[in-house]
Amino acid sequence: MYAWKCWRESRARFIFLLIMFTVTALLFTLGPGLGERNGWWYFDRSEYLSNPWSTGHMVFSMILGVLWCSGFLSAVFLGATASGSEIEPGTIEYLWTRPRTRTSVTWTHWGVCVAEMVIVAVVPLYLAAALLGTLTRHWNSSGQVISELLIAPWVMLIVGLPLLGLTTLMTALRRSASGGLIYTSGVVIVYALLRQIIIVPLHLNPPTLFTGPLVWLVNNNQFGASPIAFPWGALWRAVFLAAALPLAAQYLLKRAEV
Amino acid sequence: MSEAAILTEGLSKSFGAQAAVSALSLKIQTGAVYGFLGRNGAGKTTTMRMLLGLVRPTRGSARVLGLDPAKEPELLRILERVGFVPQRKQLYGWATPAELVRMNKAYFPSWSDDAAAGVAKRLEIPMKMPFKKLSIGNQSKVALLLALAQGADILILDEPTAGLDPVMVDEILRTLIEDHISQGRTIFVSSHHLGEVEQICDWVGVLEEGRLLLESRLEEIRQEFRLVIASGEGLPVATSPNLVSATTDGRFRRYVVTREAERFAAELRGQGATILEVSPLGLRELFLHLVRKEDPCTPGNAGAKAAPVSSFS
Repeated sequence: MYAWKCWRESRARFIFLLIMFTVTALLFTLGPGLGERNGWWYFDRSEYLSNPWSTGHMVFSMILGVLWCSGFLSAVFLGATASGSEIEPGTIEYLWTRPRTRTSVTWTHWGVCVAEMVIVAVVPLYLAAALLGTLTRHWNSSGQVISELLIAPWVMLIVGLPLLGLTTLMTALRRSASGGLIYTSGVVIVYALLRQIIIVPLHLNPPTLFTGPLVWLVNNNQFGASPIAFPWGALWRAVFLAAALPLAAQYLLKRAEV
Repeated sequence: MSEAAILTEGLSKSFGAQAAVSALSLKIQTGAVYGFLGRNGAGKTTTMRMLLGLVRPTRGSARVLGLDPAKEPELLRILERVGFVPQRKQLYGWATPAELVRMNKAYFPSWSDDAAAGVAKRLEIPMKMPFKKLSIGNQSKVALLLALAQGADILILDEPTAGLDPVMVDEILRTLIEDHISQGRTIFVSSHHLGEVEQICDWVGVLEEGRLLLESRLEEIRQEFRLVIASGEGLPVATSPNLVSATTDGRFRRYVVTREAERFAAELRGQGATILEVSPLGLRELFLHLVRKEDPCTPGNAGAKAAPVSSFS
């Protein structure tokens, strides 16, 4: 029943994110065929049929150029509904006097958020892949693009999970949804600034903490870019943080007094 | 009597240097209706929260239905059998009472749909309106409904009637009496409405600055406590072990005594006092005498302390 409550509380954000990313992905997919004549929109499929590979590649690059952050955005906005956010408004007294452990409450919320993140990541890109395959009629010619479109949501999800954990932790720490959002944004901004300070003046190039798979996906889809090896280290770090941060939140909530 | 429904031994809680509850020892028998009284900040809510695992005690121990709320597996069993109405009746604003009932039902094996429907009808709760749009009174009623329909062995109610009109207060008290008290269930209720407490409770505990000043059967309070008003020069502050409190009001001195009030009055007469009145004491008067540290009418009386714990248990 707590899962239903989590869904009920996050569904507005979930639907908003899903619509926003799906509309964006579909617009980019249909973009090369859309034109305007005498004040009317029309759709011309010839570009898809004559250059299936390059059109597919361009579509995928545009989608990825915008939607690379979808995993992060879903993680932060959905994660801010974690049980820690109920402390400030006072509903936590109700929640914590139900016969459920705080651990199960934390992980049920996490599970619901992951399910929503999967849908938000998969639906727009898989719809785009299906549409692209249909429009080009050459699943083989655009096959590489389509297979990358099918992998992309899972990469976005994996790099989004540490941020979901971070938001859950910050929400527990600040005891409110807005506090969680602000502190998560603060941590991300400080991390990005520190990284830039290290990279630019010191001319160092440290490996990414956990966003390596996403960097790999974006780099491999730029025209003329030489392929880079898959960053397994960053992937394992992402998996570690995805588990460690919600565990820290769970520990914090278990010890919390209200 | 059977096993105590709620038992605390030396239960203490401090927030930093501030002691919220100090060495509280309570024994609430199964089937008792226990009124927990005290001024704002006396430690009532903190005590209730410790019983439900929301706050960890600094020292001492608590048992609810023989189980320890400090241990998670035992706490879950306590929460299954205890209905709680918090002071801040804050539930999910987006949910209607009907949705809250559905949600709550899944948590409690002994949930009763009939009881929920009965309470909703009796208290005239609009079941289809989102919680955030309900009046404060209706929000309180929803919180009560959820606790009452749970089929709990113990009800812990923290100011359950705050914000309700007298008709609704009466209806809630009737519901409590008919559905719970008559079935021998235990109720642990804190309230500032002493009239309500007198109406439903059989035991009373008075808490002040985290310490239990008094614990007694209500019947014994009615039978035993007396107010003695005396006038005269140089009257003693406290001489008898039966003295609960003594305050000065102008030329008069008011004594609250338990048992043998006539003998106490005779002792005062022997010291030259004129006894103006020896009268029974209601709960309200007793409470005011216990918790009032200084009488605002008499600046000279500043610092006169209420008596230490006087327990019949």
